[in-house]
Amino acid sequence: MRPEESIQLITGQGYWTPLLWMAAALGTLLLAFLFWSRGRRGYKRGTEQDLPFVSGEKVENPRLAATHLYWGFAEALRPVLRRLGAWHSGVVNDYAAWFVVILAVIFLLIMV
Amino acid sequence: MGTHAPILAIAVPLLGGFATPLVARISRVLRDFWVFAIALFVAVCVGFVAAQVFAHGVTVYVLGGRTPQETLAPGAFPIRIMLTVDGMSAFMGLIAGLLALVAFPFALRFIPEEEGKTLSFTLSLLLLAGIVGLAYTGDLFNFFVFLEVTSIAACGLIGFRTWTSRAPEAAFKTMLLYALSGLFFLMAVAFLYGEYGALNLAFLSRQLRGSALDRVALALFLSGLLLKVAAAPLHFWAPDAYGEAPAAKTLLLVVNTQVSLYGLWRILFTLYGGVLDAGVGWLVVAMGLLTMVVAAVMAVGQQDLGRLVAYGAVSQIGYMMLGVGVGLVTLAGRPDYALVALKGGVFHMLNDALTVGLLFLCVGAVEWVRGTRDLGELGGLGHGLPEVALFFLLASLALAGIPPLNGFASKILIYHGSFQLSPILTAVAVLASILLLAVFARAFQGVFLGPRVEVKPELPWSFLIPMIVSAVGIVVLGLVPGFFLEQVVTPAAEALWRGRHLYLAAVLGG
Amino acid sequence: MIGNLPFVVCMILVALGLWTLVAKRNLIKLVIGVGLIQNGVNLFLVALGYVRGGIPPIYTLAPAGAPMVLPTPQALTLTSIVIGVATTALMLAFAVVIYRHKGTLDARKVRELRG
Repeated sequence: MRPEESIQLITGQGYWTPLLWMAAALGTLLLAFLFWSRGRRGYKRGTEQDLPFVSGEKVENPRLAATHLYWGFAEALRPVLRRLGAWHSGVVNDYAAWFVVILAVIFLLIMV
Repeated sequence: MGTHAPILAIAVPLLGGFATPLVARISRVLRDFWVFAIALFVAVCVGFVAAQVFAHGVTVYVLGGRTPQETLAPGAFPIRIMLTVDGMSAFMGLIAGLLALVAFPFALRFIPEEEGKTLSFTLSLLLLAGIVGLAYTGDLFNFFVFLEVTSIAACGLIGFRTWTSRAPEAAFKTMLLYALSGLFFLMAVAFLYGEYGALNLAFLSRQLRGSALDRVALALFLSGLLLKVAAAPLHFWAPDAYGEAPAAKTLLLVVNTQVSLYGLWRILFTLYGGVLDAGVGWLVVAMGLLTMVVAAVMAVGQQDLGRLVAYGAVSQIGYMMLGVGVGLVTLAGRPDYALVALKGGVFHMLNDALTVGLLFLCVGAVEWVRGTRDLGELGGLGHGLPEVALFFLLASLALAGIPPLNGFASKILIYHGSFQLSPILTAVAVLASILLLAVFARAFQGVFLGPRVEVKPELPWSFLIPMIVSAVGIVVLGLVPGFFLEQVVTPAAEALWRGRHLYLAAVLGG
Repeated sequence: MIGNLPFVVCMILVALGLWTLVAKRNLIKLVIGVGLIQNGVNLFLVALGYVRGGIPPIYTLAPAGAPMVLPTPQALTLTSIVIGVATTALMLAFAVVIYRHKGTLDARKVRELRG
């Protein structure tokens, strides 16, 4: 097949080639570099300036574990998580019960 | 050797696996070479088979009487077992071979000697033999036997670390559910045998009439295989299993699940292809959507990196089910958009194997270096393990379907195809993708970014090479999707979509 | 209708096995539940092969002209029994290891992997 066909994906409603993405990415990188080059020069690595910001407090050995990240996200999903987590109970009997339920549903679907 | 490649790809890892403890008695280095040589041999064989099938159509390898007329007594039933390899089987074999090449070198250094390394290789080779057997077989009872072989080997690998309390628990639950799924599959085979007196897939496919007993068998097939495939709400074993197995072996477990999914497609498209109605397709689509969403949401609250990636892997099964399910729903009319979705679902099997494989390799590397997978304790590893951080980022972006990586290529096909069937399907799929992106961004930032944390052991190069191979695969599949779609995925998808009569003709002779 | 009795019994066995899996808490009882389902399916396979008035499918000293019971399901059942042995052995081994770690065989207490 021709080289330009091999990087194309033709779906029923259009087509995609990575070249388009590369062009967009290049433009975005240029823009990002432009913004970065107009930043402040006084930034020093390895000093107090690049420690994590823990709400303005002075914390010894600041290290944010992943459990503290995206807190708002998890909090918004908390009711759903709690309900789903209850179903993932870890008890094998519940898992077998789900199987029986799905067996019944599939039988109903197929035979009726 | 070319003509015998299908059976060699099954027999060599089977026998080699059992010979591994004997080889290990001679020398440990020899055992490492032996295991890697077998994995390489399997990869070469599946490559041969795939090349042959993609060039010449369905390949039938017969063990026993070559033609239906070669019988022990004139007029008796021919004694033979057939390996029927069409495009889809060859594709699954390719995935198995590729991931064997990636997983075994990683396992060579990952599992320490005192933890029973030799026996883990025996189990893995047994699992590999079972997986290739599942992909290539054309006989229903043979499928059941290989299904059970993979179940037992997989559970042995899941519960491998018997000194922990989590692994045997995961293995017990998984073995219970796997045994249940295998038994219901066997019951379905028994129903069909009782009705038609045959076990050969092609023969049964031609005889199936859609009677009530056939439908009972279909229901049993569906329930057994959907449990093995980890479709929600039957997915509860999967995060435990993927999380507790040693990271190198989890890749083989993922391929095991995918090849069981292939078994489902084989039953639905080829065996029941003539008598299927759209209800089954909608069931598959609905369970696929449920899997996507449930797994993505559960991943948000995970504290263990391995379980987080495992939920991501479970979620991707939903995409494959959605893509192929769209094809199942419209099997009667066969519109073009459904073929696009079907190709996307099949392509996603390959992409997901590579992506999730790379993610689990990264998790394994992190566990090897820090000894823990608890997200509360990990952090700042990007300074000491820059390669692992880069690969984890790459694989996360690929999993979430970000262009120009391979996940995007298959997901755009699924999105476009399913949109034509119903926009709700596409909306749910895209939302699940975004949710997973958030989950993995959190994992990446928490584990790899942050102030430097000292890491002591250097990663051995046998860890980095499989990761590099997977990463190269991810990038190449993303940048040149059209090539792989035409050469590898289209024969597989067409074999399911319109290839049923070719399959029957190759086995039964027209 | 009476001829269907073996199949009905097999389905009852499978249903009992499923009920055991859902209702019983002891891990060993769960393994027995899986064993019940195995027995039900194996019995189903063997019962399928029955031919009315059939003799065992052995050629030696067989009376001429008598119909033979189908031998293939018997072979399938043997394979399935062997697979069942391996499965049961593996599950019991893991149950022993779980007991060594946790000191209990209660499925409601063996829940370290949840969520």
